[in-house]
Amino acid sequence: MTAIPPATTPRRGLTPGELAQAAVMAALCAATAIIAVVVPFAAGLSVLGTVPMGLLAYRYRLRVLLAATVAAGIIAFLIAGMGGLMTVVDCAYIGGLTGVIKRRGRGTAMAFGASIVAGALFGAAAVVALSVLSRLRNLVFDSLTASIEGLAKVLERIPVLDVAAEPLRTTVATMLDYWPLLMLVLGIFTISSISMVGWWALSRILARLLGVPDVHKLDADEADDSAAIAPVPARLTDVRFRYPGIDHDALGPVSMELQPGEHVAVTGPNGSGKTTLMLMLAGRQPTSGSIERAGAVGLGRIGGTAVVMQHPESQVLGTRVADDVVWGLPVGATADVERLLAEVGLDGLAERDTGGLSGGELQRLAVAAALARDPSLLIADEVTSMVDQQGRDTLMNVLSGLTDHHDMSLVHITHYNDEADSADRTVQLSGNGGTADNTDMVQTSAVPVSDAAATHHGAPVLELTGVGHEYASGTPWAKTALRDITFTVNEGDGVLVHGLNGSGKSTLAWIMAGLTVPTYGACLLDGVPVSQQVGAVAISFQAARLQLMRSTVGHEIASAAGFSRHDNDRISGALEMVGLDAALAQRRIDQLSGGQMRRVVLAGLLARSPRALILDEPLAGLDAASQRGLLRLLEDLRHNNGLTVVVISHDFTGLENLCPRTLHLHRGELALAPTTAGGAR
Amino acid sequence: MTAPTRGQRKPVVLLRPVPGDTVIHRMWAGTKLLSVAGIGVLLTFYPGWAPIAAVGVLVLVTARLAHIPRGALPSIPFFLWILIVLGGALAALAGGSPFIDIGSVQIGLGGLLNYLRITALAIVLLGLGALVSWTTNIADIAPAVATLGRPLRVLRVPVHDWAVTIALALRAFPMLIDEFRTLYAAHRLRPVEPAETFRARRRQRVANLVDLLAAAVTVALRRGDEMGDAITARGGAGQFSAAPSGPRARDWIAFAVLVLVCGTALALELTVLPTSLPRR
Repeated sequence: MTAIPPATTPRRGLTPGELAQAAVMAALCAATAIIAVVVPFAAGLSVLGTVPMGLLAYRYRLRVLLAATVAAGIIAFLIAGMGGLMTVVDCAYIGGLTGVIKRRGRGTAMAFGASIVAGALFGAAAVVALSVLSRLRNLVFDSLTASIEGLAKVLERIPVLDVAAEPLRTTVATMLDYWPLLMLVLGIFTISSISMVGWWALSRILARLLGVPDVHKLDADEADDSAAIAPVPARLTDVRFRYPGIDHDALGPVSMELQPGEHVAVTGPNGSGKTTLMLMLAGRQPTSGSIERAGAVGLGRIGGTAVVMQHPESQVLGTRVADDVVWGLPVGATADVERLLAEVGLDGLAERDTGGLSGGELQRLAVAAALARDPSLLIADEVTSMVDQQGRDTLMNVLSGLTDHHDMSLVHITHYNDEADSADRTVQLSGNGGTADNTDMVQTSAVPVSDAAATHHGAPVLELTGVGHEYASGTPWAKTALRDITFTVNEGDGVLVHGLNGSGKSTLAWIMAGLTVPTYGACLLDGVPVSQQVGAVAISFQAARLQLMRSTVGHEIASAAGFSRHDNDRISGALEMVGLDAALAQRRIDQLSGGQMRRVVLAGLLARSPRALILDEPLAGLDAASQRGLLRLLEDLRHNNGLTVVVISHDFTGLENLCPRTLHLHRGELALAPTTAGGAR
Repeated sequence: MTAPTRGQRKPVVLLRPVPGDTVIHRMWAGTKLLSVAGIGVLLTFYPGWAPIAAVGVLVLVTARLAHIPRGALPSIPFFLWILIVLGGALAALAGGSPFIDIGSVQIGLGGLLNYLRITALAIVLLGLGALVSWTTNIADIAPAVATLGRPLRVLRVPVHDWAVTIALALRAFPMLIDEFRTLYAAHRLRPVEPAETFRARRRQRVANLVDLLAAAVTVALRRGDEMGDAITARGGAGQFSAAPSGPRARDWIAFAVLVLVCGTALALELTVLPTSLPRR
């Protein structure tokens, strides 16, 4: 987390960063409120909804909190009705209070005092509301009285408890007679107690968030409307960049030229400064050296610079395809949505929800949105690294045709060799940081032929018979993910389950780990349904960060493996097993690289000696050296320790040794031969 | 295929309209939001039998028009039925006016009627909200809010920023839910740490909760940073909807029906069938 931005920025409207954080925290608060309202006996969870709101109030201006409250309120209302809306409002009220006090650097006493005042105000507001809504008040009080009267009548019949009947009646009646006072006391009591819990939770969370790096990269163009927008031609001379507080340059020195209409590929290993170069081109000032341009950068402006980045889901901002194409265009500007979608091969999908698109489709949509701005310069920053093979090919076709059809320059940053081939020329960044030896590039490989005939002699570990799965079964939203899957994984096997986006491979992984109970058929581990022994089969998710819950590596491994956090020997042993140095145990989770995170997850999982290990897209987002290292580690574990491995992936590269057996999943069914786009069915 | 595995509860499907293209689906989202708000105000001020019944009929007719199948209803857990029946029984015991005579026994229905009325009110309000989420594409919500809130701009209310935040929050919501599913699954995979005493167990539970929450917030922060970058790459917030958003002929008809039904119910409540006044 970065330093707190000043509470009052001269800008009036919300900045992009503020909008995004408000939206995300609103979604988080709404989710908490909805769970608290919808799930029985979970009302206590609503207290946690104060944390995202408190965080917003702590880090940003009050108008950000207000926007988040409106958004969260509407979402909660749409799903959980009035109760959801009220919960969100309460969370924002209390969270806002604690967040502001925290920002001012005040202590618990101040927070307690303020919460008493806030509670009194809340109670007073409730009294006013109930005075106005007299009929509703009568209804509620009458029902309450009736229930109490009924309870009292029951109590009168029970020998020992009959004495309690009369006091119960009179107490409730007295309380309802003095209802304004009751409301006030209730308001003070509930608000102050929830505030204190929220204050405590927020303090704990803020302490934990200190190590979270700010991964935001782009900064809004300094609105210099007077200058003409012309990002190319550009000439970079000895450009270096160093992030504040770091002792080495992230980039440079780099000298290059960029002419209009050029397609330039930028390659280099992780850490060579590829992304930093993107930032330079997108308008950030270099630490030294100079960038001469014909005019202003015009990031996101019409005729300016457009950027498409790595994570497909985060690139797309609209919930409907057509909305995303125009998203962010200045009011009054128009775009030919159909033509743009046709250019990237998404014609006819304008009314589709973006939630159902594959990674490759999302990235092409982001390209269409970039083209809607008619940019002079388009920067594609590792856009294919999270996309499956088929999506990668289509996306590359779209990108390589751009400079022919448009009057624009394309800078394509990639770590795939073959992608750089379609460019006019390639700029190779070597990187003078610590990763200079790490220069080889990722190769992509062709689909291997299915090798189902290979014989295996180990005892069966996982047996799937007739497994089928339907999401939202029995509702109008029912969707079949898997159909009639039957196969066996034997002891010491290495199986690759290959499939494209939407083929149901992740569902299959969850079923094999026992996290999802299949709608049809059975998935047995040693003869017993695996869903009854969650944890016996280890699974490493694609998003390794989600699997790391403790703050440091040592605690994380101890917690995942079930040893004491003081058992340093076993923690070191687990780290050694995955090829990490034992000294890493003290490191904070958020300071690990992607490859290290994946290894720490594996260390925790393997320390429990699982019956089988499932890896969901283990290589996604890793550079060549980390991929190779991880594969070698897994191969060793399989050959030497007899580990049973199931890899779920849309890629084949380098997996042949680890997984001699390949199963192809196509639209929820096992296919015998490899299938290509629009293949068998 | 074999029979489905038994004992699975119907899952809750969030923010996805029931598939279909009926007149209700095509109605402007703003109409639906305004109607729900209007009916909500009517029912909180006049929670009498006439308005509740009128709105109940409206809900049923709308659901019919929208072709909402019974499968869309969430399944109600068994204990909730028990609670509802128990509450009704207690309220019925209380008696009170009005009284009816069955043979020689006089039964007071006051308590039961009150209980039924408050239950019906809750069900009708839930049904209203459910209808909106069952028939509205979430992509239409934010543009409708922007249009509805336009008059507030005079008061310098940042309606556009709010609408953009709503649109982005609705976009982020399913992604976050997905990430939380994974987070929770990862939590389930972990062994239960041994804890001997009650205090140790409680401390452990609190620590787990803080860990889960910290992980959730970290994920959300990261998601927010990336989303902020994407917004910056597009030059900040501007348009967020390709189609114009506003009422059309069918929306005015819907408003007319709504005003007629609610107006009649209100008139009945205020004149011949007053059931929400204090009975003392």
